[in-house]
Amino acid sequence: MARLLFWRLLRTALAVWALASGVFLLSRLEGSTAVELAQPDPAELRVAGAAATPAARQALDEATRHRLGLDIPLFYVGTHPVAATTADRWHWNGVPNQYHKWLSEVVRGRLGTSFRTGESVGGRLQQALRFTLPLTGTAAALAVVFALLLAQRLAARPGWHRPVRGALVALQALPLFVIALGLLLLFANPATLAWFPSYGLEQAIDADVDEGSRLGSYLWHLALPVAALTLSALPELTLQLTAALEQELGSQYATTARAKGLGERAIISHHALRNALLPSLAQLAELLPALVAGAVVVEVAFALPGMGRLLAEAAAARDFPVLVGSVLLVGTARLLALLITDLLARWADPRIRWQQ
Amino acid sequence: MYRARHNFLVGARLCLAIALLLQGCTAKRRAAGSVQIRWAHDPENLDPMAMANQTAIDAINLLNCSLLQVDFATNQFAPALAEALPTVQLLGDSLMRLHYTLRPEAAWDNGRPVLATDVAFTLKLMFCPGLPNTGPSSQYRFIRDILVDPHYPRRFTLVCTSQSVENVQASGDFFILPEAALDPKGELRAFSLAALQRHVAAAPSPAVLQALARRYAAASPGQTPARLPGCGPYQLVKWEKDRYLSFQRKAHWWADRVRSRPLALQARPARLEYAIIPDPATASLALQRGDIDVFPQMPPREFKRLRQTPAARAALNFYTTASYDVVTAGFNTRHPALSDALTRQALGRCFDAAGLLQGSELGEGQRTVGLISPADRLNYNNKLVLLPFDLAGAVALLRQAGWQRGTSVAAGWQRLSAQGPQQLRLTMRYRTDEPLFATVALQFQAAAASIGVPVSLQPTEAGAFTVALHNGEFDVYVRALRGNPFMFNFTSILHSQAIGAGNTTGFGTPESDRLIEAIAAASTVPHRAQLLHRFQALMQQQMPLVPLFFRSNHLVAQKRLTSLHPTSLKPGFAAMAIGEAVPSTSP
Repeated sequence: MARLLFWRLLRTALAVWALASGVFLLSRLEGSTAVELAQPDPAELRVAGAAATPAARQALDEATRHRLGLDIPLFYVGTHPVAATTADRWHWNGVPNQYHKWLSEVVRGRLGTSFRTGESVGGRLQQALRFTLPLTGTAAALAVVFALLLAQRLAARPGWHRPVRGALVALQALPLFVIALGLLLLFANPATLAWFPSYGLEQAIDADVDEGSRLGSYLWHLALPVAALTLSALPELTLQLTAALEQELGSQYATTARAKGLGERAIISHHALRNALLPSLAQLAELLPALVAGAVVVEVAFALPGMGRLLAEAAAARDFPVLVGSVLLVGTARLLALLITDLLARWADPRIRWQQ
Repeated sequence: MYRARHNFLVGARLCLAIALLLQGCTAKRRAAGSVQIRWAHDPENLDPMAMANQTAIDAINLLNCSLLQVDFATNQFAPALAEALPTVQLLGDSLMRLHYTLRPEAAWDNGRPVLATDVAFTLKLMFCPGLPNTGPSSQYRFIRDILVDPHYPRRFTLVCTSQSVENVQASGDFFILPEAALDPKGELRAFSLAALQRHVAAAPSPAVLQALARRYAAASPGQTPARLPGCGPYQLVKWEKDRYLSFQRKAHWWADRVRSRPLALQARPARLEYAIIPDPATASLALQRGDIDVFPQMPPREFKRLRQTPAARAALNFYTTASYDVVTAGFNTRHPALSDALTRQALGRCFDAAGLLQGSELGEGQRTVGLISPADRLNYNNKLVLLPFDLAGAVALLRQAGWQRGTSVAAGWQRLSAQGPQQLRLTMRYRTDEPLFATVALQFQAAAASIGVPVSLQPTEAGAFTVALHNGEFDVYVRALRGNPFMFNFTSILHSQAIGAGNTTGFGTPESDRLIEAIAAASTVPHRAQLLHRFQALMQQQMPLVPLFFRSNHLVAQKRLTSLHPTSLKPGFAAMAIGEAVPSTSP
């Protein structure tokens, strides 16, 4: 088992390195856009003496390129035109290149500095995760618990199946922003019910409030965003688990259990659930990268400063160090999730262990 | 069954009770004299050299002072750190000297006086290699030298390579930084401003400048502005990225000692809180709940909806002002089919500016003949006629331009030129992040199609749009240009020497170049107005750009707030001048 785990972890590390390297190299192909966006906004009219000639513009571009570290070769090898008429020729750039610099820093645990703010990317990710993990983690936990309860109830009482499934399918069809805005307009609106706050987490305006009130305020602010995420994740988990449970309850071992006089609930919890969970494990594993990646829609709707917003804004502003750092993190979470799924599947289904 | 229902009802009641309890316990408490303002995004960087975006400029404005600042009551520059507007001394036909004196009260947070050496240091910092100063280094290159009065350390003279009116104002519009904090030994004094301006970016910089750049980076004014003493009225108390910024009024600000303070030097709220709320619908709810006090640049539809709500009308004040943002279409004049003015005029008549204005701004913006706002009565050419939405006229102009319509609808318009046959078939780019641009593009596409001109739309992501415009990868584009009432230098967007830089349309004729240069160099306001009138007429005739309309600013604030001074200038109101109405004590 330990050997298997070691090899899988090694493969995961290699896959993460390949993913991050690919994203790094691809993103730097857009380097000129990053330089362009770092210049004064061209839509800002009538700035006195703004760089008005191609030469002045080029000087500005070069200064920006130097500041962002984009003025050295991208990779160990590259092409450069020998003359206008000849084809590009491959060229060895040596160690001082952007990729080598980045990789050396990553190995030392440093993800670079943001193009936009000059902050360390590690610090920025840490800050975003501080808000994202409680949000997505709570939502994922609630979705799993509710899905387990609901699926078992539905399997035990087939009479409720049709209306509840209809409602779940309808909920699943709703985009997340509709759910988020619907909750806001229902429960944070003075025109309807203003039970919950409309944005943010607790503000640090009141330095004198005690820890209990602070925690209460935090939970109160988190209620609607967590509800939105839970409602969006719940249908898929419940429908899958219900279908799997129904199939298991129709199997011969369930019939035998019934013949022995076991109640439906006991059959579900003691026999059918573990078998029915197998397909749901993959869904649960999908939740892990989502926990880290955040939920950009909910973060924007409720003005929460999480990973989703950070990633989306970094992509829009071509803030490559933040973008690559985020991809590295989310990619690692995804690959670890796949590993955990495999391990859980081995636990849940002995046949997989026997086959290997 | 009954038990389950009973359990459910008990659970629901419990949840409700907890929610109400939480609400009661944790309702937002507001510090006295605090004003909460909505921002759509984080300023990201508070470096006075970088000035990354409008929110950053607003924040830096609270922490620092410039020589001149805009007075929102008059929309004119007024003295801030400077005692008065500069006195102008013209030298020959191209140079000018601007004489400034700093206010005797002006001081940094640590009590040191703000001196002319600080101004000289800041100007030199703009050209110091290794700093994020690409913006100011291109804007303030016209200041070639600063002469500090050896007898009076608060007096200095700026030597400028231009006699333009707008450069007189621009010469005082930058934030002053403390020399003592960043260069305690005064090592930068050994370098003249001209020498720093001549420094080539790629060349190795002297050790003194490298050390200065390192000290500047270590001070990190972009992220921790409190490390440097400021001379503005507020200090940054807390900054939670993407959440809020909190500014506290200084107990003893130097301007408190100034007699008859202008609006630019007023700072009334004890605390200014900026809440970052990206979604306007969420921000609107927060405003209605009283969680925020001011919502600047509210989308027109939400503004109208809220204004029609009795509860909102009772609690909020609504303000509308004209803005200096003009929605503009541009033609790629390098495209052979768009290289002649008649074709551009014809296509310009396919924009239904009045309809678009009504649809997007709910009729509250202003149509325009050019890039000058109609609100600027002196410089706006009101003798010109607004461009009509006239498809029959467009067809006639196309025929005048030599285009002939094919026999079938699909054939479109064709003409023969020296380079061979041409076909009028266009691609139109617009940014996807604003629905207005998509509306303009769709309207143009439909109108052009009705006269047989096929237009394919290319909705483009904002970053890619900027690059596409720079590279000339478009036939027609739509975007908003942001102006102000102080600067009329069109060199960067319409001069032929800026083709390949900021002149995205590729337009430029000797006549237009001469006119743009004359406007930029005009040394009197009436002469400049005369030139601007001619410029607007020429642009309407040549039509590389089709200015459609100026947008409006919508500001909503809680009724208890007074003296917001709603203005056409960004951010649309004077945050530092806001006061609170005394609550009525009548029974």
